[in-house]
Amino acid sequence: MELALSIARREASLDREEALDSGAEIEAFLREVEARAYRIALVHIRDRGEALDIVQDAMIRLVRRYADRPSAEWPPLFYRILQNRIRDVQRRRIVRSRVLSFFGGTASEEEHDPIAEAPAPIGENPLERAKAADAMQALEQALLELPARQREAFTLRNFEGLDVAQTAIAMSCTEGSVKTHYSRAIHRLREMLADYAEEQ
Amino acid sequence: MSDEKHDSDFERRTKRAFDDSVTALDAATRSRLTQARYRALAERKAIRAGGWRWALVPAGTLAATALVVWLTVWQTPPAHDAVQSAALGDLEILLGDEDLEMLDEELEFYGWLEEQPEFAGADDSVG
Repeated sequence: MELALSIARREASLDREEALDSGAEIEAFLREVEARAYRIALVHIRDRGEALDIVQDAMIRLVRRYADRPSAEWPPLFYRILQNRIRDVQRRRIVRSRVLSFFGGTASEEEHDPIAEAPAPIGENPLERAKAADAMQALEQALLELPARQREAFTLRNFEGLDVAQTAIAMSCTEGSVKTHYSRAIHRLREMLADYAEEQ
Repeated sequence: MSDEKHDSDFERRTKRAFDDSVTALDAATRSRLTQARYRALAERKAIRAGGWRWALVPAGTLAATALVVWLTVWQTPPAHDAVQSAALGDLEILLGDEDLEMLDEELEFYGWLEEQPEFAGADDSVG
């Protein structure tokens, strides 16, 4: 009996090791965060293609560098990589915009708003879906008015649900800064969305 | 209503709007996210496969180094300084990267060679 239990335990342990070795745990983590990470990237970048590229890049970098770290460390590390990639794209856009303006063009000539152009999502209750889409669109517009660091703090804390310590790691700043940025973001957003909130 | 409570309601509503937008993602986007995840995981498999190969190099190198040290230092009969310094010179040459790489690759062959009876017999007959 003891031998059978010992064998069963050993087999369970081997199964666990095999699961870890095959990356099942990190796959589950990536599956859990990928859609939200994409939406967060889209809030900042407002381009579907670039948002997808950013998420893919963040996933590859996490796997390449941190797959062997404890899984509890993955969320802040992943969002730190994601935020860095978002900033890279934003910096590139600023440079491109300046170059274009220097040569007489304007960045807006080639930019578009994919969210505004996108068809409304189809659901079982189109009215509810439309309301939800409107709410998110209003929120995204308001978020674009915020300074970048406040927007980062808000998306990580509110959308992704990271705690203050995790957000501080993701944003490469102190916990105090996170609290300040988040608090300011909330108050500013409340002001901007006050009319919208009253209509609901 | 206090500001804190107000913020909390507001935070809940914004979170809900975000969650709804994630739920409403279209199939094409979800498919591309799945592909992106597979690419990341494929990278992991490639790294692990490569990692095992590379892990063998230091292990083999360490074994080769141990063998070389054992052969040159402990198997060298006590002799005068000139012989010892020659042995150390050989060791230095053998410990060069190129030689270690060669030894790493050939170690298995030399192990097999040592086990062959005809070579063992030849060694015994000498001297």
